[in-house]
This record gives sequence, C-alpha cells and structure tokens, in this order.
Amino acid sequence: MIKITDLEKFYRTEEVETIALNKLSIHVNTGEFVAIMGPSGCGKSTLLNILGMLDDPDGGSYVFNGIEVAHFNERKRADLRKHNIGFVFQSFNLIDELTVFENVELPLIYTGVPSSERVKRVEEVLDKMQIMHRRNHYPQQLSGGQQQRVAIARAVVNKPKLILADEPTGNLDSSNGNDVMELLTDLNEQGTTIIMVTHSEHDARYSHRIIRLLDGTTVMENIMI
Amino acid sequence: MIRNYFKTAFRNLWRNKGFSLINIVGLSVGLACCMLIFLYTMDEVSYDRFNVNAANIYHLVVDDKGTDGQVHKFSSTGDMPGPNFKRELPDVQDFVRIQGGNYTIKRGNEVFDQDALYVDSNFFSVFTFPMLYGKPEHALDDPHSVVLSEEIAEKYFGKVNPIGKTLDLKVGDGVLAFQPFKVSAVTRKSPQNSSIKIKMLLPKKVNHDDNQWNNFFENTFLVIKPGTNIKQLDAKINKIYLTDAASQIKENADKYGDKDKRSFSLQPLLEMHTSTDYPADNGLSDQSNPMYSYILSGIALFILAIACINFVNLTVARSLKRAKEIGIRKVVGGQRKQLIMQFLGESFILSFIAFVLSIALVQLILPVFNTLANKALAFSYLLSFKLVAGYIGIFLLTGLLAGFYPALVLSGFNPVQTLYNRTQSVGKNYLSKGLVILQFTLATFLIISTITIYSQFSYLMKFDLGYNDKNVVSITAWNLDKTKIPILKSELLKDPSILSVTADQGGRWGTMAHINGNQQQRFDMKHIDEDYLPLFQVPMVKGRNFSKAMVSDSANAVLVNEEFVKQAGWKKPIGEIVDFFYNKKKYTVVGVVKNYHFLSLTEKMSPMLYTMKPDYPWGNVFVKISDKNKSESLNRIQKEFKALFPFIPYQYKFKDAEVAEQYDKEAKWKQIVTFGAVLTIFISCIGLFGLATLSAERRKKEIGIRKVLGASVEGIVRKLSTDFAKLVIIAAVIAVPAAWWAMHKWLENYPYRIDINAWIFVLAGATVLVIALATVSYQAIKAAIANPVNSLRTE
Repeated sequence: MIKITDLEKFYRTEEVETIALNKLSIHVNTGEFVAIMGPSGCGKSTLLNILGMLDDPDGGSYVFNGIEVAHFNERKRADLRKHNIGFVFQSFNLIDELTVFENVELPLIYTGVPSSERVKRVEEVLDKMQIMHRRNHYPQQLSGGQQQRVAIARAVVNKPKLILADEPTGNLDSSNGNDVMELLTDLNEQGTTIIMVTHSEHDARYSHRIIRLLDGTTVMENIMI
Repeated sequence: MIRNYFKTAFRNLWRNKGFSLINIVGLSVGLACCMLIFLYTMDEVSYDRFNVNAANIYHLVVDDKGTDGQVHKFSSTGDMPGPNFKRELPDVQDFVRIQGGNYTIKRGNEVFDQDALYVDSNFFSVFTFPMLYGKPEHALDDPHSVVLSEEIAEKYFGKVNPIGKTLDLKVGDGVLAFQPFKVSAVTRKSPQNSSIKIKMLLPKKVNHDDNQWNNFFENTFLVIKPGTNIKQLDAKINKIYLTDAASQIKENADKYGDKDKRSFSLQPLLEMHTSTDYPADNGLSDQSNPMYSYILSGIALFILAIACINFVNLTVARSLKRAKEIGIRKVVGGQRKQLIMQFLGESFILSFIAFVLSIALVQLILPVFNTLANKALAFSYLLSFKLVAGYIGIFLLTGLLAGFYPALVLSGFNPVQTLYNRTQSVGKNYLSKGLVILQFTLATFLIISTITIYSQFSYLMKFDLGYNDKNVVSITAWNLDKTKIPILKSELLKDPSILSVTADQGGRWGTMAHINGNQQQRFDMKHIDEDYLPLFQVPMVKGRNFSKAMVSDSANAVLVNEEFVKQAGWKKPIGEIVDFFYNKKKYTVVGVVKNYHFLSLTEKMSPMLYTMKPDYPWGNVFVKISDKNKSESLNRIQKEFKALFPFIPYQYKFKDAEVAEQYDKEAKWKQIVTFGAVLTIFISCIGLFGLATLSAERRKKEIGIRKVLGASVEGIVRKLSTDFAKLVIIAAVIAVPAAWWAMHKWLENYPYRIDINAWIFVLAGATVLVIALATVSYQAIKAAIANPVNSLRTE
C-alpha cells in the first residue's frame, strides 16, 4: 500500500539546516499494523505527516496505492487524504466549538456525504466506540479517554484504508490507553492498515512490525510474532 | 455544509462575546453612518426629480462679464426672455416664471407675514405638484386667485376645504391696501426634495409690463423639446437676445455706462440643487454644495473602514487560538476554498447582525441627523429600490472587506504546524500594525479638524466686528411709512430704558458710481439717519457724522467707510465727489466711517457708502435698550410699533443673535465633524482594547518569566504599552500634514481666519495618545499584576 524510497525532508532556519528524514525507505503492506519508534527528534512525526500527505517531502518518492504522490499539490493531496486516511493525535485535536456528534460528522461533510447518510454513519461509529451517550456533549465535558475515542471515531467514520496514529495513548492513563489500543487492533483486524508512532514499548507490542528510526533513517526493523 | 458553517460561526461569536461585541458595535455604527449618508445623498440627487417633466425643464441662467473681465453668475432674468424665446424658437415648448415675494395677510385684526411665489398661470402644467383640493389647470387664471399649500391653508382656515374662501392681502397703501383673493386650489405639502416650496402661489402680475432685457429679478424655466441639442439652443437664444435687446444694450451703455457682456444659458433643472455656480434664489430654496455630500460620505466611510479594520485585526490576532481548528479541518479533508467560505461566512453573519442593528440605530438617530444636516429625511425612503440595493451593497461590501483578508490568512495555515503548536504569531504583524496606524491616522485627522473648526468658529463668534450689537433690538418690516419713524422714535425715547432708536432701509443694497472723474466704483450702500452710527458705536475716522442741523446733508452729503477710501485711492477724502452719473446727481463726502463688518465674516470688507436721502424707504428699525428692564422695554417697543403700524406684522430679533445666525452653517458642521471624530476615536479604541487583550494573553508566559526574573509591574506595563504608543505616534505624524493641508484648504473659504498653530496638532496628538494609552493600560496592568505562577503552569 505504501512504498517510500529515499525520502528526504529538511528544516531550514536562517542559520542551520536540520535533516529530519535522510534517504528513508519504508514499505507497508495493506492490512499491516506498523509501529514507528525512536527518540525525540528522530523524524517520526515528520514521517507520519508526509505519509498523511499533510506535508510534502523535499526528495525521494512516495507511492500510495500505486500512485506517486510526492509532488501532488495541496488540493490533490487533500482530495486523496480525505477519502483514504484517518488521523489520531496524542492531543486528540477535537474542535472545541463542535459537539461530539459534529466533530465526528466533519469528515463526512467534507467528502460530501448526504445528511441522512451522515447521521446513520456517525451513530454507527459512536455506538461502536461506546460513546453514543455523549453525542451532544462538547469535548471539554469529556475525559481524556472519551475524547480519544471520539477522535478515533472521527478518524474511522469515513472508512479510511489507512489510519495514522501519533502517540495515541500519550495523554492517557494506562487503562484508557489499553482501551484505545484494543480499538486500534480491532480496526486492524477488520482490514484497516495502521501506522502508529509511539514511545511506548507496551503499545508497540500490539503491532505486527516495529520500525526504529534514528536521525531520520531506519536503524532496525523487528517483526512481532 | 452551510449549516455547519453557520453553527461554528455562531458558536465562535458566542464564545468570544467580547470580541463579537466590539465588532458588532463598530460595524453597526459604521453601517448606520453609511446608511444615513446614503439617505442624505439619495435625497440630494433626487431633488426636483418628482416633476414628471423634470428632464426637459431648464433654468435660464446668466453670465455677466464685467469690464474688469470678472464673470458674475446669476440665475435671475426679467420678464422678456421667456415669452420671446418661446415665440421665436420651436424647441422652446413652454416657459414659466417664478418670483419670490412676501405678503402681509390680514385675518380679522391680526396681520401675518407670508412668503409667496408669483408664477405664470401655466405653472402647474410645467411642474408636478399634487393637489389636495381644486384643479390645477385654471387655478391661477383669475388675477385675484390664490393657491395655498396644505399647511398654510390649515393655518388660516383650519382643517376645512377653503376653496372659494378669501384671504385679504396687502397690495397697496391707504384704505384700499387690503384686497380679497379667492382660494382656487390647495396643494399637498411640497415634497421636501423640491427646490420650489409652495406656501402661497399668486398669479404673476404682468401689469407693470417689464420690458427690460437687462432687469434681473425672477427665475425663468423653459420646457425644451426632448432631444434638442442644448449647446446649439444656447447659441440660438443668445442670438435672439443680442438682436432683440440690441437697442436696450446700447442705451444702457451710453446712458448708464453699463458695458457688461451678458449671455444666457440653460441649466438643467436636475442640476440646479447642487450647482455651485448659479445661486438658487428669488423664491427657490435649499440649494446645497455637493462638497457637503463628499465630506459626509468621507466621514461615514472613515468610520466603516475603521470598524472593518477592527474585525480584520481582531480576527487575525485571534487566529492563533483558531489555528488548531483550522488544522483539524484540513486534516479531515477540508479544502482551502471551503475554509475561506467558512470564515467569510462568519464575517457575513457578523455584518448581518450589525446590519440589522444599524437599521434600528438609523431610526433612532435620524431626528438628530436631520437637525444636523438640515434635512427632513425619513426612513420610508427605504422603499426605494436603489436605496435597498445600496444598503445590501454596503452590507456585502462590509462582509467581504472585513472577512476576506482573515479568511485568506487563516485558511492558509499549515496543518502540521498548527497541530504541533508550532505556529508563530503571524510574522511581524506589519499588516495589523499598519491597519492600527491607519485607524489612528484617521482618528487624529478628524480630531485635528474638530479642534481647528472649533477654534475658527469661536474666532468668528468673538471677532471684534467694529460695532456694538449688544442689546440692540432689530425689527424687520418692509416699506415702513417714512413719516411715522420720527413719531416712533420720540414715543420710544420717552422710556428711560430705551436708549436710542434708528433705522435703515433693510437688506443689502449695492450700486456703482463714478469717482475721480469717470472711474467706476462698485460699493454697498446704506440709507441711514444721523443716529445710526452712534447707536452701533461706530466711530468716525475723518470728518463728521450726518447731522439734522445741516439741511444739505439729506440732499447731497454721503459718508464712506475706510475701505471705500482705500479703493478710491483718496488722500483727502473729505470733499471728494461721488457721481451717480445715471441719475445725474453728485454727492460730497463729509465723513469717513471706521471699517466695521456689516457683512458676515465669510465675506471680505467691502466699500460702503451711506446716504440720508429721504427718498429711500425704511425697512429695519433698531432700538438700543438698557440692560435693565429688558422685557418691559420689549413690550413697550411692540406696543408702540403696533399702534403706529397696525397692519404690519411685528417681528424682532436681537441684533447679536441675528449676527450669530450667519454662522449657523458653521455651527452645524462643527457638530457633524465632532460626532465623526468622537465615533472614529471610539471605534478605534475598542479595537485597540481588543488587540491589547489579545497581546496580553499571548505574552502571558513571557510576562510570567519576566516577573519571576524580577521585572516590576511598572516596567511590564510600560513594555506592553509602548508598542501601542509607538503606533499611535506614527499615526499622528502621518495625520498632521494631511490635516494641515485639508484645514488650510477649508480655512481659505474664510477671509478672516485663525492661523493653524502647532498647539492644535500637539493637543490632538496628545488627546489621541492619552485615550489610546488609557485603553491599552487596563489590559497591561491586568497582565502585569497577575500571578506568574498561573501563567507559567499552563504550559
């Protein structure tokens, strides 16, 4: 599903150029659950953003589902993204002004799903995430675990082929964290490809494969058994 | 999708009530100002348009080129042009002449002064005035008929139909002075946007058959065939004038030395109201200078622009808080276009709320505005399609103006940066700073203007006019019986609190005579008696005042003012001759009067000549009363006047009040500009308050760290305030030359004016700075005294 070759990304400020990704090559198959690990600043999040087409690489190739996307413009990327990729963040990133229901509904609005269909699908996914009873609450009224469930609901409501999770349990206690990991595992078992950035060895054990990064390049790949 | 935009927009507005309030208040005031100005200009351009035939009606105007090359423009003609042009030119389909006048009406034992218009009997076939009673066609056929307007009819007859009833009008002197005129029709109240305001119409008396082409005393309107080339027609009428009037022109030149070249031209009726060239007088009213529309529009647009800037600045400044939302929307698939739509939607909702409020606001302040702008505007004008379209236009424009830039900036945020809290406070904020500078430049400009206008006004009011107008009662009445003035005088002077009585012929009169042989000299002329100059305490510079003892004074003595002497170039004015060559009379100068301002200070000192010739009528009686027993004195004057002149309406004013009235226009502009300045500074400041709030919030952590490291509260307040103070100072520096230039231009209209002193700029700058600092310091102090522990912990 994903094939990146010699991917490069630099950050420049006036004085220094930092290499975030250094000729990185990774291959992810459809249906895989991959964890990306590494110390702070090794380029994990940069990689995730490029994979999620939020950011563009400075060099190399990125083939998504057989399409070269490295040089797509913003609109094309947005188009591909909204139909194929769901995001889960460490800090949940829910819109404070919208209710639980409306937050989850948002991706469907942007993909142009008609209103009645939207209600059905949002309710379905909220039910699955066991957060239906909170549908009319605002994010601030929820606990961290609940917020992350809403965020996952939002990520999956469009039935994406790929979910990118950036330290999804980072802001949660261990019990809530485990719940979230179970949810992700379930999704993976139903066929969704998952790529997750994490600091936690515990979380990484839920995946099929761990890719370890250091200074913007792969240092080790472990296959989980 | 749209529903979702609305929802977020509303919730955003609600959650940030403070900022929404700032924006809504600012925008609604700005929109209300624009609406009022729209109403005003709509009214201005709608003048006389209600006449069905308006596009084909032309006003005959005259350019008079004197021998000195100066062109005097006036809009009066005599009786001749109308009928002659119609007879000789098929393109001239009709003509109607209108002359303003004033009648005394007697009802029982009471007498009233009534403004009237003398018009040709076809008046109603040219102009469209709806009737309340009677038919317009033959209303003016009978020379003893009168047409009244609704409100005047009600004044004399009450609310009944007065057709067929009579009014006694004073048409002559003596026993038969009053004659009955039969009411033949009643018009509805004249539209307020009409240059012709009907109160009372009388058939034009052509009985004195004025056959002089070179008399100018009434308005002539011509109805021109549609499609006529007006330039060519102008040439044709002048050819007729030069042919038909040839002998009169020659006679005038030979006999009276009148060598002025005159030419007629056609002014479209629809351009008459805002013409600055030709005065609309002799019965026409309300002419206004389009400059006022420009100034008013300028102020309104200033205010709206400042409100829009508030929106732009506050939205962009708050964008950091919304960055996350934007990032998320992008991550889940929102495209930039959709986000732009969303943010524009927010500005439109805000503008819409402001728009609805502004309509209410306009309703509320319309009466005040009407007084200020001397209008009778009504909101019912809203029914006009153009106005509604205009309002919707400014609403859309406001929404777009306020929302476009923020929408563009906000939608351009990079989601990666916003979601990882990497967003910087949008560059160095040059735009936002620039906009604040613009706001305060406009505010400072208006404040400088206000102070200048105030000081010029007070300069005019306190100007030493060269005479004493205090406690002088001025009674205006035309054609007072000459023989009765001495009786009035002696009766009044029996009262010890009445100090002096005098009279002149009233109004402003001017003529021309020969001096130094046959040098032409134009001057104002006043017919007075020997008590006039002493009553007003005007000193003589040379020679002597008129004297009753000198019998020859009334026959051939004149006084002149210093300006006259200066223009005549006389070294020894006493004994000089003024030659009224056209009636072969020569007068000798017996005294020189110290210059005093007999005209409004909007005009330069003019040469003036005084006579005591008995053949002029009296029109103005002046009574100087003592400071004590004023009301008794006033009663006494009224009683004596009524006893002597029972059929002349008694009306008086104090001379100093009359003088002050000359500056009504200035007083109004003073108020309008003050309002403008106050609103501008107010809206600028609420915007600044919002920015200061956001800046304090953004720098909370910085302030916390500084405090932990030992910064004092004063130090922090100073630090937070100086940033804004700098902007205001830059604004003042920009505003000063602009305001200096504009005020200089404005003051050029006044021959007597203040110098624009540096103190005006200093005062204006200081005012703006103090107001701005007061606004900012509240937030600065709040931020500085906050406990640093709280601000540091949140990170």
